[in-house]
Amino acid sequence: MNVHRVLTITKKELRGLANEKTILLAILLQLFIALFSSFLMVGLSAMYDPTTYGSISGVKYGVGVVGNDTILKGLLDENPSFKSYQMNLSVALGALKERKLAAVIWTSETPPESVDPVSLTLYTIKNDIQSAVIEVKIKEVFLKYEDILRDVRSDRITKHPVTITSARPVNSNTFYEFIYALLIPLLLFMPAIISAGLVIDLITEEYQQQTIDTLRTTPASMNEIIWGKISACILLVPMEAGLWLVLLILNRIRIGSLPEILLQVIFASSALILVAALLALYYQDRTKSQFIFSTAAVILLLLTLAFPGNPLNIIAQLASESPAPLFWPVLFVFICFCIILTLLIRVTVRKATETS
Amino acid sequence: MIDIWWRSILTIMQMLHQLFTISRWEVKRFFTTMSRDLLPISVILLILLVLVSGFAAQRGMHLQDGLYRIGIDSPTYLEIIGNDPRYTVYDTSNLYGVTPQKAGTDLKIQTGTILRTPGEKGKAAQKSFERDYQAYSDRIYQQQKDLFAAYPLWIQNEYVSSELNFLATQTGQQIGIPGQAYNEAPEPDLPVEEVTPPVSSVPVDSEELRMSLAEQMRNDQEQVSRYTGIFSKADTTQIPYKVPSLLSPPLPFDTIIFIFVFIFPLYFTSQFFMMSIMNERTLRQGEALIAAPIKPEILIFGKMLPYAIGMILLASAILFAVHTDIIAILPLIPVILFFLAFALFIGMVSRSFKELSFISIFFSTIATSYLFFPSLFANVHIVSLLSPVTLVVYVIQGTGYTLMEYLYATSLFYLTSFIIFGICIKNFREEQLFTESSMVSKVRLYLAGLIQPRHWWFSLFIIGLISIPFVLMAQMMYLVLFFNLPMPFSLILIMLLAAFTEEMAKGAGIIALITAMPGFLNARILVIASALIALGFLVGEKLLLFVTISQISDSVFGAALFLSIGMLWMPFLLHTVGVCITGALVLYKGPKALPFGLALATAVHLTYNLYMLRGWLW
Repeated sequence: MNVHRVLTITKKELRGLANEKTILLAILLQLFIALFSSFLMVGLSAMYDPTTYGSISGVKYGVGVVGNDTILKGLLDENPSFKSYQMNLSVALGALKERKLAAVIWTSETPPESVDPVSLTLYTIKNDIQSAVIEVKIKEVFLKYEDILRDVRSDRITKHPVTITSARPVNSNTFYEFIYALLIPLLLFMPAIISAGLVIDLITEEYQQQTIDTLRTTPASMNEIIWGKISACILLVPMEAGLWLVLLILNRIRIGSLPEILLQVIFASSALILVAALLALYYQDRTKSQFIFSTAAVILLLLTLAFPGNPLNIIAQLASESPAPLFWPVLFVFICFCIILTLLIRVTVRKATETS
Repeated sequence: MIDIWWRSILTIMQMLHQLFTISRWEVKRFFTTMSRDLLPISVILLILLVLVSGFAAQRGMHLQDGLYRIGIDSPTYLEIIGNDPRYTVYDTSNLYGVTPQKAGTDLKIQTGTILRTPGEKGKAAQKSFERDYQAYSDRIYQQQKDLFAAYPLWIQNEYVSSELNFLATQTGQQIGIPGQAYNEAPEPDLPVEEVTPPVSSVPVDSEELRMSLAEQMRNDQEQVSRYTGIFSKADTTQIPYKVPSLLSPPLPFDTIIFIFVFIFPLYFTSQFFMMSIMNERTLRQGEALIAAPIKPEILIFGKMLPYAIGMILLASAILFAVHTDIIAILPLIPVILFFLAFALFIGMVSRSFKELSFISIFFSTIATSYLFFPSLFANVHIVSLLSPVTLVVYVIQGTGYTLMEYLYATSLFYLTSFIIFGICIKNFREEQLFTESSMVSKVRLYLAGLIQPRHWWFSLFIIGLISIPFVLMAQMMYLVLFFNLPMPFSLILIMLLAAFTEEMAKGAGIIALITAMPGFLNARILVIASALIALGFLVGEKLLLFVTISQISDSVFGAALFLSIGMLWMPFLLHTVGVCITGALVLYKGPKALPFGLALATAVHLTYNLYMLRGWLW
């Protein structure tokens, strides 16, 4: 195999991508998703962790307290987020419906030391983001109330949990796990998915448009043509992943062990691209190979995620500067995988050349 | 008379016959290309998929393993961490007084006190630990014989509907704005309805509560069961009482799964249709068909029918599998049409497979975000109703939807699909299908195809009119994307993008005219053309707004998008001036000046909108 010819084909494919401006679409797509980041942060991380909403506002909400006189009213007023009013239930609910109150709490008349539970009803507005915020904030008050009541009844409890106090409490909720364990790994593997789809297109196109025979009349061998296409797609991975990393760092997200991350991404992505190329060579038809590849990709992804130390997990560990004990073994496995796939591709190409 | 009837019935019969013939061909073609070597492997893959998802659900997702390092000085704390794989545990019993940072850990528990390293990671580690601690103490309290001593407080949630809806109060912006708690207890303005207070005792015995509690804790702990649990809807009659630590806002966590369950197969099937159209072109099979005396619409719909039926069957099967009312299929029909319309369009315009892939990935990302993001806020915010998928979520929750909500969520999907079908049918001709021109010039050609040279003035009006659903859809997307940014940035960003989109849509009319009738445009025609496009635009906007968008359009964000509802001559003038600016630059400076023209027109448009909205901004 002539490396020079492979490189010529690689360059030709990359130039073709640039000419067709399709790569522009890919970058636009990445930017589009980057644009979502604010939405992702609030929307998706709320999904990931609903208490996120609690840190959003510095508002003082009015709460109507109805029913029996308890210490709850005092607890609410202690909290900087709330101001409470003793009210009549019907009036309070009327005010809530007109949004003059943020919530209404009705309390039962059960005394703190009673055998029965103290119950309360929390009224909030349906279909409303504000209600979500209030429920999160009011939860703090209820937890405090629960602690006080539990204290009163503590002689009836037989086993208490180990107490742990925190030297410095954490108030604000961070998006740390969302960013490091989900966003970064997914973003870094998106170029692999794009490139794998691309390699299928590049190979099957030649077959389906019957240009493969024309190509073969050139001095380049079939092997060189295929490897030119594959290397063009593999080259795109570190370029795009690098772009992501730069964007993330510009967003002031600290990322540790950059070289290791890139190594892991390149080899894991290469394995995926080689699988796609193998399928494309075998089926020589876009619809079939894309269909099989995407189904197989979903299966592979689910399967790897089920194991600790999968490439996405390793990237999360590396990026968050935690030790990644499985980094070298997993990298080694992927390199072996790539070598096996390379050999398989060689065999398939030779077979395809012989039959035609 | 009877003769005419008879003949038209015959024609219809003939057309239906042709339609079904083509559908049959398509099905046959699909199965002959797919079955030979694909069927066995598809079956194997499907079995593998089921097996692997079962396996993955059982083992859980390992994404966060070993993210944090924790040092403990006594094995008792291991009980707290349980089997949380996020922690790598170190023994730091001989490192008393050493900071966690020096000890090489993110957290350190030292004689009952938890210490953390400074920075985001330390905070995140502590937060996760505190959550584990909560679960641990819940485990202990839940086993207490006297449940009401361990859990003395039980809360019941009640939701009331607001008399004022979202429009009047702009929930979207209230998050950022300082609230105004009254000094005195507020009095409602409307007459007060008498409400009977809830009963004082919890009407359930402690063992039932204990079981319900265990169930709730399990759901809270295992994220996966949260998703799979919805498929077995047995536990809908849960006891409505919760303990404070399990109180969580009603966010639709399961939506994310629904979207993938519904959207992914639909999108995939539309891909096959896209490839079928593309194959007609690359393999030139289509030529014979187009030459045959069959109308293009019959050809297109004939080819499409099997895929449409397949998609509907697929969606119904999923609904059936999750035991959901079949009425949830209705909101999915416009989504299916929308996917098929775009599949047809993309199949017709792409030059190569890679272009096809990129455009379809691009399209699917945007379409999925449009469907997905609003429905995240189902039950939380009215913006969620922009997505038909939200209605599916409603049906699954058992609340159903109203006709008004259906219109509101789906009309844009129906309209844009029909318009795209129309444009594609008009251009389903040999000279359009088999040219190797770039995307941009193809889109120009398609636009030019809409211009009837003899009635160019009417064509322009129509172009203005049909661009409206697309413009609105784009604007709705901005609304969804940016409504939770802080004010007034969100407002200004939405206005800027909205103005740009409108100018771009109107500029398309001028481009179409120039492409279809080169040399025809001059200063006088430009003014007339601009006025006509603006008129079409205005009529379309008003028509659609009154049908559907009234809910959104009354909010601040709506005001930013649909300012032009007010007095009629002002927006008309604004629209005309906008097109004129773009057109004039293109006319006198050549096509390269289009971006400058658009930028200038957008600037004028934005200035006008800002002036009209000044009450909100300064």
